[in-house]
Amino acid sequence: MIKGNFKKALFVCLLGLVSFTLPIKKHTTIWMIGDSTMCQYDSSRFPLTGWGMPFAEYFDSSVTIKNEAKGGRSTRTFIAENRWQKVVENLNEGDYVFIQFGHNDEAKNYPDRYTAPDDYRNNLIKFIRESRDKKAIPVLITPVSRRKFANGNALETHEIYSKIVHEVAEQLNVPLIDLDAMSLKLLQQFGEKNSTLLFMQLAPGENPDYPSGIHDNTHFNAYGARHIAELVLQGIENLNLDLKDGIIEIKKKR
Amino acid sequence: MLFLIMSFSLPLNKKTTVYLIGDSTMADKEVKAYPETGWGMPFHYFFDSTVLVDNRAKNGRSTRTFIEEGRWKPVVEHLNPGDYVLIQFGHNDEVPTKKSYTTPGQFTANLVKFVTESRDKKAIPVLITPVARRKFDSSGKIEETHAIYTQLVKDVAAKYHVPLIDLDAKSQELVQQFGPESSKYLYNYLLPGENPHYPEGHKDDTHFSELGARKMAEIVLSEIKNLNLELANHIRVVLVEQKK
Repeated sequence: MIKGNFKKALFVCLLGLVSFTLPIKKHTTIWMIGDSTMCQYDSSRFPLTGWGMPFAEYFDSSVTIKNEAKGGRSTRTFIAENRWQKVVENLNEGDYVFIQFGHNDEAKNYPDRYTAPDDYRNNLIKFIRESRDKKAIPVLITPVSRRKFANGNALETHEIYSKIVHEVAEQLNVPLIDLDAMSLKLLQQFGEKNSTLLFMQLAPGENPDYPSGIHDNTHFNAYGARHIAELVLQGIENLNLDLKDGIIEIKKKR
Repeated sequence: MLFLIMSFSLPLNKKTTVYLIGDSTMADKEVKAYPETGWGMPFHYFFDSTVLVDNRAKNGRSTRTFIEEGRWKPVVEHLNPGDYVLIQFGHNDEVPTKKSYTTPGQFTANLVKFVTESRDKKAIPVLITPVARRKFDSSGKIEETHAIYTQLVKDVAAKYHVPLIDLDAKSQELVQQFGPESSKYLYNYLLPGENPHYPEGHKDDTHFSELGARKMAEIVLSEIKNLNLELANHIRVVLVEQKK
Protein backbone atom coordinates (compact mmCIF):
# COMPACT_ATOMS: atom_id res chain seq x y z
CA MET A 1 0.00 0.00 0.00
CA ILE A 2 2.74 2.41 1.02
CA LYS A 3 4.78 1.11 -1.85
CA GLY A 4 1.88 1.81 -4.21
CA ASN A 5 1.51 5.37 -3.01
CA PHE A 6 5.21 5.90 -3.33
CA LYS A 7 5.10 4.73 -6.91
CA LYS A 8 2.16 7.03 -7.60
CA ALA A 9 3.96 9.97 -6.01
CA LEU A 10 7.08 9.20 -7.99
CA PHE A 11 5.04 9.07 -11.17
CA VAL A 12 3.39 12.43 -10.47
CA CYS A 13 6.80 13.85 -9.62
CA LEU A 14 8.29 12.58 -12.87
CA LEU A 15 5.33 13.85 -14.86
CA GLY A 16 5.87 17.27 -13.32
CA LEU A 17 9.53 17.18 -14.24
CA VAL A 18 8.87 16.11 -17.80
CA SER A 19 6.27 18.81 -18.29
CA PHE A 20 8.81 21.39 -17.17
CA THR A 21 11.68 20.13 -19.24
CA LEU A 22 9.65 19.37 -22.34
CA PRO A 23 7.04 22.09 -22.63
CA ILE A 24 4.48 21.19 -25.24
CA LYS A 25 4.59 23.74 -28.04
CA LYS A 26 1.19 25.23 -28.64
CA HIS A 27 0.08 25.43 -32.21
CA THR A 28 -0.38 28.94 -33.49
CA THR A 29 -1.30 30.63 -36.75
CA ILE A 30 0.23 33.79 -38.19
CA TRP A 31 -2.29 35.74 -40.24
CA MET A 32 -0.45 38.04 -42.61
CA ILE A 33 -2.33 41.07 -43.88
CA GLY A 34 -0.73 43.53 -46.25
CA ASP A 35 0.06 44.38 -49.84
CA SER A 36 2.03 43.22 -52.89
CA THR A 37 5.39 43.33 -51.09
CA MET A 38 4.17 40.61 -48.69
CA CYS A 39 1.74 38.54 -50.73
CA GLN A 40 1.86 35.15 -52.38
CA TYR A 41 2.51 35.00 -56.14
CA ASP A 42 1.78 32.31 -58.66
CA SER A 43 4.90 30.72 -60.18
CA SER A 44 3.87 32.18 -63.54
CA ARG A 45 5.07 35.56 -62.20
CA PHE A 46 8.48 34.24 -61.07
CA PRO A 47 10.92 35.71 -60.05
CA LEU A 48 8.40 38.12 -58.48
CA THR A 49 8.20 37.13 -54.80
CA GLY A 50 6.43 38.57 -51.76
CA TRP A 51 8.41 38.36 -48.52
CA GLY A 52 5.65 36.27 -46.94
CA MET A 53 6.60 33.42 -49.27
CA PRO A 54 10.15 32.66 -48.03
CA PHE A 55 9.07 33.73 -44.51
CA ALA A 56 6.82 30.67 -44.32
CA GLU A 57 9.77 28.30 -44.88
CA TYR A 58 11.39 29.10 -41.54
CA PHE A 59 8.83 27.72 -39.07
CA ASP A 60 8.30 24.25 -37.65
CA SER A 61 4.96 22.43 -37.61
CA SER A 62 3.79 24.37 -34.52
CA VAL A 63 3.20 27.41 -36.74
CA THR A 64 0.82 27.78 -39.68
CA ILE A 65 1.19 30.76 -41.99
CA LYS A 66 -1.92 32.21 -43.58
CA ASN A 67 -0.76 34.81 -46.06
CA GLU A 68 -3.85 36.92 -46.78
CA ALA A 69 -1.89 39.86 -48.21
CA LYS A 70 -3.02 41.03 -51.62
CA GLY A 71 -1.38 43.16 -54.29
CA GLY A 72 -2.59 46.74 -54.62
CA ARG A 73 -4.48 46.82 -51.31
CA SER A 74 -4.43 49.63 -48.80
CA THR A 75 -5.86 49.30 -45.27
CA ARG A 76 -9.02 50.86 -46.64
CA THR A 77 -9.58 48.56 -49.62
CA PHE A 78 -8.49 45.51 -47.63
CA ILE A 79 -11.35 46.23 -45.23
CA ALA A 80 -13.82 47.34 -47.92
CA GLU A 81 -13.36 44.05 -49.80
CA ASN A 82 -14.17 42.09 -46.63
CA ARG A 83 -10.70 40.62 -46.53
CA TRP A 84 -10.21 41.70 -42.92
CA GLN A 85 -13.62 40.37 -41.90
CA LYS A 86 -12.63 36.93 -43.17
CA VAL A 87 -9.45 37.00 -41.06
CA VAL A 88 -11.20 38.19 -37.89
CA GLU A 89 -13.82 35.49 -38.16
CA ASN A 90 -11.12 32.83 -38.20
CA LEU A 91 -8.87 34.21 -35.46
CA ASN A 92 -8.21 31.97 -32.49
CA GLU A 93 -6.79 32.86 -29.10
CA GLY A 94 -3.00 33.08 -29.31
CA ASP A 95 -2.92 33.59 -33.08
CA TYR A 96 -0.74 36.37 -34.46
CA VAL A 97 -1.77 39.07 -36.91
CA PHE A 98 1.14 40.58 -38.86
CA ILE A 99 0.08 43.92 -40.28
CA GLN A 100 2.08 45.63 -43.05
CA PHE A 101 0.41 48.31 -45.12
CA GLY A 102 1.40 51.72 -46.42
CA HIS A 103 2.57 51.46 -50.05
CA ASN A 104 -0.94 51.86 -51.45
CA ASP A 105 -2.40 53.91 -48.60
CA GLU A 106 0.11 56.66 -49.26
CA ALA A 107 -0.27 56.61 -53.07
CA LYS A 108 -2.14 59.86 -53.75
CA ASN A 109 -1.97 59.27 -57.49
CA TYR A 110 -4.10 56.12 -57.11
CA PRO A 111 -7.41 57.42 -55.73
CA ASP A 112 -8.82 53.88 -55.77
CA ARG A 113 -6.27 52.90 -53.10
CA TYR A 114 -5.30 56.11 -51.35
CA THR A 115 -6.10 56.30 -47.65
CA ALA A 116 -5.67 59.60 -45.82
CA PRO A 117 -3.32 59.55 -42.81
CA ASP A 118 -6.12 59.68 -40.24
CA ASP A 119 -8.06 56.90 -41.94
CA TYR A 120 -4.88 54.85 -42.12
CA ARG A 121 -4.37 55.33 -38.39
CA ASN A 122 -7.96 54.37 -37.61
CA ASN A 123 -7.77 51.28 -39.78
CA LEU A 124 -4.61 50.11 -38.01
CA ILE A 125 -6.37 50.66 -34.68
CA LYS A 126 -9.33 48.63 -35.95
CA PHE A 127 -7.02 45.71 -36.87
CA ILE A 128 -5.46 45.85 -33.41
CA ARG A 129 -8.67 46.19 -31.36
CA GLU A 130 -10.50 43.47 -33.24
CA SER A 131 -7.49 41.13 -33.04
CA ARG A 132 -7.29 41.67 -29.31
CA ASP A 133 -11.03 41.13 -28.92
CA LYS A 134 -10.36 37.63 -30.22
CA LYS A 135 -7.34 37.30 -27.86
CA ALA A 136 -5.03 37.26 -30.86
CA ILE A 137 -1.71 39.11 -30.85
CA PRO A 138 -1.33 41.94 -33.39
CA VAL A 139 2.17 42.86 -34.58
CA LEU A 140 2.66 46.11 -36.48
CA ILE A 141 5.21 46.26 -39.28
CA THR A 142 6.31 49.50 -40.91
CA PRO A 143 6.15 49.35 -44.74
CA VAL A 144 9.23 47.82 -46.31
CA SER A 145 11.42 50.37 -48.04
CA ARG A 146 11.38 51.22 -51.70
CA ARG A 147 14.71 51.54 -53.48
CA LYS A 148 15.51 55.22 -53.80
CA PHE A 149 19.03 56.59 -53.70
CA ALA A 150 20.54 60.06 -53.88
CA ASN A 151 24.31 60.52 -53.90
CA GLY A 152 24.75 56.92 -52.78
CA ASN A 153 22.41 57.29 -49.80
CA ALA A 154 19.28 55.15 -49.42
CA LEU A 155 16.37 57.52 -48.84
CA GLU A 156 13.35 57.11 -46.59
CA THR A 157 10.33 56.42 -48.82
CA HIS A 158 7.45 56.12 -46.33
CA GLU A 159 8.13 59.07 -44.04
CA ILE A 160 4.56 59.92 -43.02
CA TYR A 161 2.98 56.46 -43.02
CA SER A 162 5.83 54.73 -41.18
CA LYS A 163 5.61 57.37 -38.49
CA ILE A 164 1.90 56.68 -38.07
CA VAL A 165 2.63 52.98 -37.54
CA HIS A 166 5.17 53.93 -34.85
CA GLU A 167 2.65 56.17 -33.13
CA VAL A 168 -0.12 53.60 -33.12
CA ALA A 169 2.29 50.94 -31.82
CA GLU A 170 3.32 53.16 -28.95
CA GLN A 171 -0.17 54.41 -28.16
CA LEU A 172 -1.71 50.92 -27.99
CA ASN A 173 1.42 49.11 -26.80
CA VAL A 174 1.65 46.87 -29.86
CA PRO A 175 4.84 44.91 -30.69
CA LEU A 176 6.49 46.72 -33.61
CA ILE A 177 8.89 45.49 -36.27
CA ASP A 178 10.43 48.54 -37.90
CA LEU A 179 10.88 46.89 -41.27
CA ASP A 180 11.14 50.25 -43.02
CA ALA A 181 14.28 51.14 -41.05
CA MET A 182 15.71 47.60 -41.21
CA SER A 183 15.24 47.31 -44.96
CA LEU A 184 16.58 50.82 -45.54
CA LYS A 185 19.74 49.74 -43.73
CA LEU A 186 19.90 46.60 -45.88
CA LEU A 187 19.62 48.67 -49.08
CA GLN A 188 22.39 50.93 -47.83
CA GLN A 189 24.59 47.88 -47.14
CA PHE A 190 24.03 46.61 -50.69
CA GLY A 191 24.57 50.09 -52.08
CA GLU A 192 22.93 51.91 -54.95
CA LYS A 193 24.00 49.50 -57.71
CA ASN A 194 23.91 46.13 -55.96
CA SER A 195 20.57 46.82 -54.28
CA THR A 196 18.96 46.34 -57.71
CA LEU A 197 19.75 42.63 -57.20
CA LEU A 198 17.01 42.50 -54.55
CA PHE A 199 14.25 43.89 -56.76
CA MET A 200 12.39 42.96 -59.93
CA GLN A 201 15.06 44.39 -62.17
CA LEU A 202 15.89 42.55 -65.37
CA ALA A 203 17.78 43.98 -68.30
CA PRO A 204 16.13 43.54 -71.71
CA GLY A 205 17.10 40.10 -72.98
CA GLU A 206 18.67 39.05 -69.67
CA ASN A 207 15.78 36.82 -68.90
CA PRO A 208 14.26 35.22 -72.01
CA ASP A 209 10.78 35.30 -70.55
CA TYR A 210 10.92 39.05 -69.86
CA PRO A 211 12.15 40.02 -73.35
CA SER A 212 11.78 43.76 -72.81
CA GLY A 213 13.17 43.69 -69.28
CA ILE A 214 11.66 45.20 -66.15
CA HIS A 215 12.72 48.01 -63.84
CA ASP A 216 10.91 47.96 -60.51
CA ASN A 217 12.12 49.55 -57.27
CA THR A 218 9.22 48.33 -55.12
CA HIS A 219 8.70 44.62 -55.73
CA PHE A 220 11.20 41.98 -54.76
CA ASN A 221 12.65 39.01 -56.56
CA ALA A 222 13.18 35.72 -54.70
CA TYR A 223 16.56 36.87 -53.40
CA GLY A 224 15.26 40.20 -52.08
CA ALA A 225 12.11 38.68 -50.58
CA ARG A 226 14.23 36.23 -48.60
CA HIS A 227 16.41 39.04 -47.23
CA ILE A 228 13.29 40.93 -46.12
CA ALA A 229 11.87 37.75 -44.54
CA GLU A 230 15.16 37.36 -42.63
CA LEU A 231 14.70 40.87 -41.21
CA VAL A 232 11.17 40.07 -40.01
CA LEU A 233 12.41 36.83 -38.42
CA GLN A 234 15.09 38.86 -36.63
CA GLY A 235 12.34 41.27 -35.56
CA ILE A 236 10.45 38.36 -33.95
CA GLU A 237 13.60 37.34 -32.09
CA ASN A 238 14.28 40.91 -30.95
CA LEU A 239 10.72 41.33 -29.65
CA ASN A 240 11.10 38.01 -27.83
CA LEU A 241 7.64 36.91 -28.98
CA ASP A 242 6.70 33.34 -27.95
CA LEU A 243 6.48 32.74 -31.66
CA LYS A 244 10.26 32.66 -31.83
CA ASP A 245 10.23 29.09 -30.49
CA GLY A 246 8.60 28.02 -33.73
CA ILE A 247 11.48 29.30 -35.88
CA ILE A 248 13.61 26.47 -37.18
CA GLU A 249 17.22 26.96 -36.13
CA ILE A 250 19.47 24.38 -37.68
CA LYS A 251 22.36 24.30 -35.24
CA LYS A 252 24.35 21.35 -36.45
CA LYS A 253 27.51 21.84 -38.44
CA ARG A 254 27.09 21.10 -42.08
CA MET B 1 -7.47 10.27 -94.95
CA LEU B 2 -8.40 13.60 -93.40
CA PHE B 3 -7.77 12.11 -90.02
CA LEU B 4 -4.35 10.97 -91.14
CA ILE B 5 -3.43 14.45 -92.38
CA MET B 6 -4.66 15.99 -89.18
CA SER B 7 -2.65 13.62 -87.09
CA PHE B 8 0.46 14.84 -88.90
CA SER B 9 -0.30 18.53 -88.86
CA LEU B 10 -1.57 18.53 -85.30
CA PRO B 11 0.94 16.47 -83.39
CA LEU B 12 -0.39 14.95 -80.19
CA ASN B 13 -1.08 17.54 -77.59
CA LYS B 14 1.35 15.80 -75.29
CA LYS B 15 3.71 17.53 -72.92
CA THR B 16 7.41 17.53 -73.60
CA THR B 17 9.37 16.47 -70.56
CA VAL B 18 12.75 18.05 -69.88
CA TYR B 19 14.74 15.79 -67.58
CA LEU B 20 17.56 17.36 -65.62
CA ILE B 21 20.29 14.99 -64.52
CA GLY B 22 23.22 16.26 -62.53
CA ASP B 23 24.54 17.23 -59.11
CA SER B 24 23.84 19.64 -56.23
CA THR B 25 24.39 22.75 -58.33
CA MET B 26 21.31 21.75 -60.34
CA ALA B 27 19.22 19.86 -57.76
CA ASP B 28 15.98 20.76 -55.98
CA LYS B 29 16.72 21.40 -52.29
CA GLU B 30 15.05 20.40 -49.07
CA VAL B 31 13.50 23.33 -47.20
CA LYS B 32 16.03 23.01 -44.38
CA ALA B 33 18.82 23.87 -46.84
CA TYR B 34 17.15 27.11 -48.01
CA PRO B 35 18.29 29.57 -49.23
CA GLU B 36 20.72 27.22 -51.01
CA THR B 37 19.18 26.84 -54.45
CA GLY B 38 19.99 24.59 -57.40
CA TRP B 39 19.62 26.19 -60.82
CA GLY B 40 17.10 23.52 -61.76
CA MET B 41 14.66 25.08 -59.27
CA PRO B 42 14.04 28.41 -61.04
CA PHE B 43 14.43 26.58 -64.38
CA HIS B 44 11.04 24.94 -63.65
CA TYR B 45 9.23 28.26 -64.05
CA PHE B 46 10.46 29.41 -67.45
CA PHE B 47 8.32 27.34 -69.78
CA ASP B 48 4.75 27.40 -70.97
CA SER B 49 2.25 24.69 -70.06
CA THR B 50 3.40 22.32 -72.84
CA VAL B 51 6.68 21.63 -71.04
CA LEU B 52 7.24 19.75 -67.83
CA VAL B 53 10.62 20.04 -66.12
CA ASP B 54 11.51 16.91 -64.16
CA ASN B 55 14.56 17.63 -62.04
CA ARG B 56 16.29 14.35 -61.16
CA ALA B 57 19.60 15.96 -60.18
CA LYS B 58 20.84 14.95 -56.73
CA ASN B 59 23.34 16.40 -54.28
CA GLY B 60 26.78 14.76 -54.29
CA ARG B 61 26.30 12.61 -57.37
CA SER B 62 28.83 11.96 -60.12
CA THR B 63 27.94 10.31 -63.44
CA ARG B 64 29.11 7.03 -61.91
CA THR B 65 27.12 7.13 -58.65
CA PHE B 66 24.07 8.51 -60.47
CA ILE B 67 24.08 5.38 -62.64
CA GLU B 68 25.09 2.95 -59.87
CA GLU B 69 22.25 4.09 -57.62
CA GLY B 70 19.74 3.36 -60.36
CA ARG B 71 18.87 7.02 -60.96
CA TRP B 72 19.49 6.94 -64.71
CA LYS B 73 17.50 3.79 -65.49
CA PRO B 74 14.04 5.19 -64.58
CA VAL B 75 14.76 8.29 -66.67
CA VAL B 76 15.58 6.19 -69.75
CA GLU B 77 12.53 4.01 -69.17
CA HIS B 78 10.21 7.01 -69.13
CA LEU B 79 11.73 8.87 -72.06
CA ASN B 80 9.36 9.61 -74.92
CA PRO B 81 10.31 10.76 -78.42
CA GLY B 82 10.98 14.50 -78.36
CA ASP B 83 11.76 14.65 -74.64
CA TYR B 84 14.98 16.39 -73.58
CA VAL B 85 17.74 15.23 -71.26
CA LEU B 86 19.89 18.06 -69.88
CA ILE B 87 23.12 16.58 -68.54
CA GLN B 88 25.41 18.47 -66.14
CA PHE B 89 27.98 16.57 -64.12
CA GLY B 90 31.59 17.13 -63.16
CA HIS B 91 31.79 18.63 -59.65
CA ASN B 92 31.78 15.25 -57.96
CA ASP B 93 33.37 13.27 -60.76
CA GLU B 94 36.56 15.33 -60.82
CA VAL B 95 37.58 15.20 -57.14
CA PRO B 96 39.90 12.20 -56.52
CA THR B 97 39.35 12.35 -52.74
CA LYS B 98 35.57 12.01 -53.07
CA LYS B 99 33.84 8.63 -53.00
CA SER B 100 32.04 9.73 -56.13
CA TYR B 101 35.30 10.17 -58.06
CA THR B 102 35.05 9.08 -61.67
CA THR B 103 38.15 8.78 -63.83
CA PRO B 104 38.23 10.84 -67.05
CA GLY B 105 37.81 7.71 -69.16
CA GLN B 106 34.82 6.58 -67.11
CA PHE B 107 33.29 10.08 -67.14
CA THR B 108 33.48 10.14 -70.94
CA ALA B 109 31.97 6.68 -71.20
CA ASN B 110 29.12 7.62 -68.87
CA LEU B 111 28.30 10.76 -70.85
CA VAL B 112 28.29 8.69 -74.04
CA LYS B 113 25.92 6.26 -72.33
CA PHE B 114 23.50 9.09 -71.42
CA VAL B 115 23.65 10.42 -74.99
CA THR B 116 23.23 7.15 -76.87
CA GLU B 117 20.53 5.74 -74.61
CA SER B 118 18.57 9.00 -74.83
CA ARG B 119 18.81 8.87 -78.62
CA ASP B 120 17.75 5.23 -78.66
CA LYS B 121 14.47 6.51 -77.20
CA LYS B 122 14.38 9.37 -79.75
CA ALA B 123 14.90 11.87 -76.97
CA ILE B 124 17.25 14.85 -77.35
CA PRO B 125 20.31 14.93 -75.10
CA VAL B 126 21.94 18.29 -74.32
CA LEU B 127 25.38 18.37 -72.72
CA ILE B 128 26.18 21.11 -70.20
CA THR B 129 29.68 21.83 -68.90
CA PRO B 130 29.88 22.06 -65.08
CA VAL B 131 28.89 25.47 -63.71
CA ALA B 132 31.69 27.62 -62.30
CA ARG B 133 32.88 27.74 -58.72
CA ARG B 134 33.65 31.12 -57.17
CA LYS B 135 37.43 31.17 -57.23
CA PHE B 136 39.51 34.25 -58.01
CA ASP B 137 43.26 34.68 -58.29
CA SER B 138 45.06 37.48 -56.41
CA SER B 139 44.53 39.89 -59.31
CA GLY B 140 40.76 39.44 -59.16
CA LYS B 141 40.51 37.21 -62.21
CA ILE B 142 38.24 34.19 -62.04
CA GLU B 143 39.95 30.80 -62.21
CA GLU B 144 38.85 27.78 -64.22
CA THR B 145 38.06 25.00 -61.73
CA HIS B 146 36.85 22.27 -64.10
CA ALA B 147 39.58 22.38 -66.78
CA ILE B 148 39.81 18.65 -67.49
CA TYR B 149 36.18 17.62 -67.06
CA THR B 150 34.74 20.55 -68.99
CA GLN B 151 37.00 19.62 -71.91
CA LEU B 152 35.75 16.02 -71.73
CA VAL B 153 32.14 17.25 -72.02
CA LYS B 154 33.10 19.33 -75.08
CA ASP B 155 34.92 16.37 -76.66
CA VAL B 156 31.87 14.12 -76.30
CA ALA B 157 29.61 16.87 -77.67
CA ALA B 158 31.84 17.34 -80.72
CA LYS B 159 32.31 13.64 -81.42
CA TYR B 160 28.60 12.76 -81.09
CA HIS B 161 27.19 16.05 -82.44
CA VAL B 162 25.34 16.76 -79.22
CA PRO B 163 23.99 20.28 -78.56
CA LEU B 164 26.37 21.81 -76.02
CA ILE B 165 25.83 24.54 -73.45
CA ASP B 166 29.18 25.77 -72.18
CA LEU B 167 27.83 26.78 -68.79
CA ASP B 168 31.32 26.68 -67.29
CA ALA B 169 32.54 29.48 -69.58
CA LYS B 170 29.30 31.48 -69.48
CA SER B 171 28.98 31.33 -65.71
CA GLN B 172 32.64 32.32 -65.31
CA GLU B 173 31.89 35.40 -67.41
CA LEU B 174 28.98 36.25 -65.13
CA VAL B 175 30.94 35.70 -61.92
CA GLN B 176 33.76 37.82 -63.37
CA GLN B 177 31.28 40.63 -64.12
CA PHE B 178 30.17 40.59 -60.50
CA GLY B 179 33.79 40.53 -59.32
CA PRO B 180 35.43 39.00 -56.24
CA GLU B 181 33.24 40.79 -53.66
CA SER B 182 29.81 41.12 -55.28
CA SER B 183 29.90 37.57 -56.65
CA LYS B 184 29.21 36.42 -53.09
CA TYR B 185 25.60 37.46 -53.72
CA LEU B 186 25.35 34.69 -56.31
CA TYR B 187 26.47 31.98 -53.91
CA ASN B 188 25.14 30.85 -50.55
CA TYR B 189 26.88 33.42 -48.38
CA LEU B 190 25.13 34.21 -45.09
CA LEU B 191 26.21 36.29 -42.13
CA PRO B 192 26.06 34.81 -38.61
CA GLY B 193 22.54 35.37 -37.24
CA GLU B 194 21.16 36.32 -40.66
CA ASN B 195 19.30 33.13 -41.48
CA PRO B 196 17.78 30.62 -39.01
CA HIS B 197 18.85 27.66 -41.15
CA TYR B 198 22.49 28.77 -40.85
CA PRO B 199 22.74 30.41 -37.40
CA GLU B 200 26.55 30.53 -37.51
CA GLY B 201 26.57 31.96 -41.01
CA HIS B 202 27.79 30.28 -44.17
CA LYS B 203 30.36 30.71 -46.91
CA ASP B 204 29.94 28.51 -49.92
CA ASP B 205 31.76 29.03 -53.22
CA THR B 206 29.99 26.18 -55.03
CA HIS B 207 26.29 26.31 -54.18
CA PHE B 208 24.01 29.16 -55.17
CA SER B 209 21.66 31.63 -53.56
CA GLU B 210 18.26 32.21 -55.18
CA LEU B 211 19.92 34.95 -57.20
CA GLY B 212 22.80 32.85 -58.50
CA ALA B 213 20.55 29.90 -59.29
CA ARG B 214 18.22 32.12 -61.30
CA LYS B 215 21.10 33.72 -63.19
CA MET B 216 22.51 30.29 -64.08
CA ALA B 217 19.08 29.12 -65.22
CA GLU B 218 18.82 32.26 -67.36
CA ILE B 219 22.13 31.38 -69.03
CA VAL B 220 20.93 27.86 -69.80
CA LEU B 221 17.68 29.26 -71.14
CA SER B 222 19.47 31.79 -73.37
CA GLU B 223 21.70 29.05 -74.73
CA ILE B 224 18.68 26.89 -75.51
CA LYS B 225 17.53 29.81 -77.65
CA ASN B 226 20.96 30.24 -79.26
CA LEU B 227 21.12 26.53 -80.10
CA ASN B 228 17.77 26.88 -81.87
CA LEU B 229 16.37 23.89 -80.03
CA GLU B 230 12.67 23.38 -80.61
CA LEU B 231 12.31 23.71 -76.84
CA ALA B 232 13.02 27.45 -77.20
CA ASN B 233 9.57 27.87 -78.78
CA HIS B 234 8.03 26.93 -75.42
CA ILE B 235 9.73 29.54 -73.27
CA ARG B 236 6.91 31.51 -71.70
CA VAL B 237 6.64 35.24 -72.14
CA VAL B 238 5.73 37.24 -69.07
CA LEU B 239 3.70 40.29 -69.86
CA VAL B 240 4.82 43.11 -67.65
CA GLU B 241 1.87 44.99 -66.27
CA GLN B 242 1.81 48.57 -67.40
CA LYS B 243 1.37 51.17 -64.71
CA LYS B 244 -2.02 52.75 -65.06
